[in-house]
Order: sequence, then structure tokens, then C-alpha cells
Amino acid sequence: MLPVERIIGEEGLEATERGARLAMRLPWYRSLPFSVVEVASVKLDGTDVDLTDAVVEFDDHSFPLAEIGEQTNAFWFVRDSAFLLLPQVALQKDESHEVSLLLKISPPYIPGMTRVNPMTATLTVA
Amino acid sequence: MTIATGPQVGVTLYAFTNEWLTRQFDLDGLLGEVAKRGLGPNIEIIGFQSFKEFPDVSDDFASYFKDLIAKHGLNAVSCAINSDRFMKPGQQPIDDADLVEYHKRQIRSAKKMGFKLTRSQFALPAHLLSELAPFCEDIEMPMGVEVHAPMWAGHPAVLEYREVYEKLNSPALGWIPDFGGTARAIPPSLLDAARAIGTPEALIDATKDIWQGAEASYVKAGKLRAFAQDKGYDQAHLQACTLAFFILSNNDPQSWAELVDRTIHIHGKFYGVNDEGVEEAIPYEDILPIFRDGGFTGTIVSEWEGHAYCAVDAFEQVRRHQAMCRRILAGEPVVAA
Repeated sequence: MLPVERIIGEEGLEATERGARLAMRLPWYRSLPFSVVEVASVKLDGTDVDLTDAVVEFDDHSFPLAEIGEQTNAFWFVRDSAFLLLPQVALQKDESHEVSLLLKISPPYIPGMTRVNPMTATLTVA
Repeated sequence: MTIATGPQVGVTLYAFTNEWLTRQFDLDGLLGEVAKRGLGPNIEIIGFQSFKEFPDVSDDFASYFKDLIAKHGLNAVSCAINSDRFMKPGQQPIDDADLVEYHKRQIRSAKKMGFKLTRSQFALPAHLLSELAPFCEDIEMPMGVEVHAPMWAGHPAVLEYREVYEKLNSPALGWIPDFGGTARAIPPSLLDAARAIGTPEALIDATKDIWQGAEASYVKAGKLRAFAQDKGYDQAHLQACTLAFFILSNNDPQSWAELVDRTIHIHGKFYGVNDEGVEEAIPYEDILPIFRDGGFTGTIVSEWEGHAYCAVDAFEQVRRHQAMCRRILAGEPVVAA
């Protein structure tokens, strides 16, 4: 896997009081506005996770995943992870889970180009 | 003061995308490594790759950055900005006024950090150049549009820009050629990377055939997608091949002569310089003399893009590329290994 193809972040999967929190990396060479990123699906142990209530967290701000398409002035710094908070998913520390993430990005200066980026990893819950 | 007598060499930090994404270096560390290896002093940086605060860089960060550049003895030549017009996929582009302001924000940041010029993109419509030219003149920041594959000197978008350039005749507007537009072939290293993940040879052959055509990148991508879907090929294999349509095209290298007089900076795009000192896909022997003999005295930044499909040592590739450029600019022949 190339560095630019890595979409599950080094920080992995964490159990929090608010739900499971998954680190994501941006599969591009530069920062992009969140509005051109689509979190197409998340699977946990092969089962689709309902993303209706999911929240994106980046640094000190957050927004509902459902509103990611409106985030034209919030930039995902390419060297940093963003986090997907899944309120409906309760995990226990030290459990092991297979996580599959599918991201799509449409670079905002290349009309007609969409990159599809899948990644699956087995993660130990932190 | 050094008086430039011909094209200078340098490097864009984009060449080190793999090292950056994997967090092997922070900005201080990467600039230090470039300096230590003698790959500067002239550098280009993509604002949206290396600066977290982009597009609106604070005074504090700008000051920190200028100190880094001074500490490492580098020369911040070019800041690549982005013409992000399609902020909402599948919807209308952003308003013209917003796009102009988006450029100004980035250009102001680049100026504040001490860069000498900016790189823009054709996603900025030509009719907006008249709004940016006076701004760039006022703050003394020339802006060059990157002529990147599938663009070339004879492409309709370039001709449209050229007409506006001639009408405005602004010293603040120019070209930044990217040699990927005049490649002789898809880099063998790109196709080998596709093979390494199991891409069928028939898909690679179809990629090579479609790449020869003159259509827009997305049209070529659509053709290959239709072929791959018909044959039931894997999405990952399709994506590995499709990349070629967006980064390279096969226009006539001699066509750069049309753009030399307004060229303010150059992207020395390359994919692999072999042991004999020859780039595998782009005919530098044909291209560089055009700029040297045409009087270009700006910087050619080494822009290794093999990181889009492989993970060989980028520093070594840049070293080889700069040696190749110096050899060709000096009029010396290839030396057999």
C-alpha cells in the first residue's frame, strides 16, 4: 500500500464515552476541503455501520458527517488524521475488530475526477 | 549578488510526498534534509501540502517559516496555490468573486512567507485574470498558470489564456510548464507498479492505446472504465492505470517554444532517472535546450511524481534529476554507466 492510499489512520480505533472513534487519513497529496470527501461506508467485522449520526472531528472542531458536503472552508491537513465518531457503536478496550473504510475524494481543481479508496485493517481498540 | 546566466535547478517538496505523508519529516526536518543533501537552495512548496494554516497563514507562522528558510540557507522561490473551483462535487462551481478572493488569500500568504511567485491552475477561468493581474502587480507576486497534462502550448485552454495574456500584457502573469504534457510514453515504472498489484496485461495494453488519443483526461478514463467493467476487471487495477491519463500526455516537446517568452518558472516533472542519467518517459534532451536557448533564467524545480505509484528513494531520484538537468543545460552528452 502506498502512503497516499492509507485511509485508516495511525491512531486506529478508540472506545470513548461518546462512541467508537476511528482515525482517518486523507488519500491525496495535499489538504482538501472536507466538502470534496465522501465517507462512503464503514464496516465493522463485515457489517455495515449506520452512519446517520456519525460526526467528523478535526482538531478542535466537529460537524455531522451528513453535513460534510457543506464544509467548503474547513480544510483537512494532509499530514493529520481526522476522526469519525460513531455514537451508535460501543466497543471495549483491547477488543480486536476488522474495520473496512471506503473514502471517495473529488479533487476540487480536476473536474470529473473521483478517487475511490478502500482499506481494511484489523485493529485493537485503544 | 548572483547574476543568473541560465536556468537554475531546485526542488519542490512535492517530490517528497511519501516521506511527508508517512510523517518521516516535519517541515523543519524536511527543509533541513533538502539543504543537507545539496538539493536546494531553490525550492517550491505546495501551500496546501506543507502549511496547515493555508490558505490564510498567520503572521506568526510566516515569521517561523522565514526563519526556517534562513536557518537552512534555502531560497523560497515558488508557492503552488490551488484554483479550487469545484468545491461541491457534482454541483455548480463556486462564484467568480469567491474564486478570485480564494486566490488572493493564498497569494497574500505566499507573499508574507517570502515566496517570489505563485503557481496557479487552469481551473481559474481566463476571464478572471484581469481581476488578479493588478493585485499580483501591486504586491509584486507574479502568478504562473501550470501547463500540466493534458494541456500543452496548443491546447484550447492555453490558447484562450494566451489571448488574455497578450491583451493584458501584465508582467505579473506567466506560464509554468510541466513537462508531463510532452511525454514520449507512460512511464514503464508506472505500468510495472500496476503489474505488481496484479493488473492484467490486457488492461495495461488498453491503457497504452487509449493514452495515445487526444481526448480530455476524464474521457480517456471513461473509456478505460467501460473496457474494465465489460471485462470485469478489479477497481484497484483500473485506478492504477487511470492515473496515467491525468498526469501525462504525449504532445510535441518542441511546442514549448511557443511559451518560453512568458515562462516564469518550470516544473521539471519526472518519474525515474536511470543509471545512465536519462529520464524514462520525458525527453529532457529535447526540452531543456528550448528554454535555455530561449533565455529562461528562472528555476526548474525537480518534481518527482513516482510517489503516486511507488516508494523508491525520492532524494536519490531528485539528485539524479538535477545532475541530468545540469548535464543537458551544459550541452554534454549522455555518459554510459
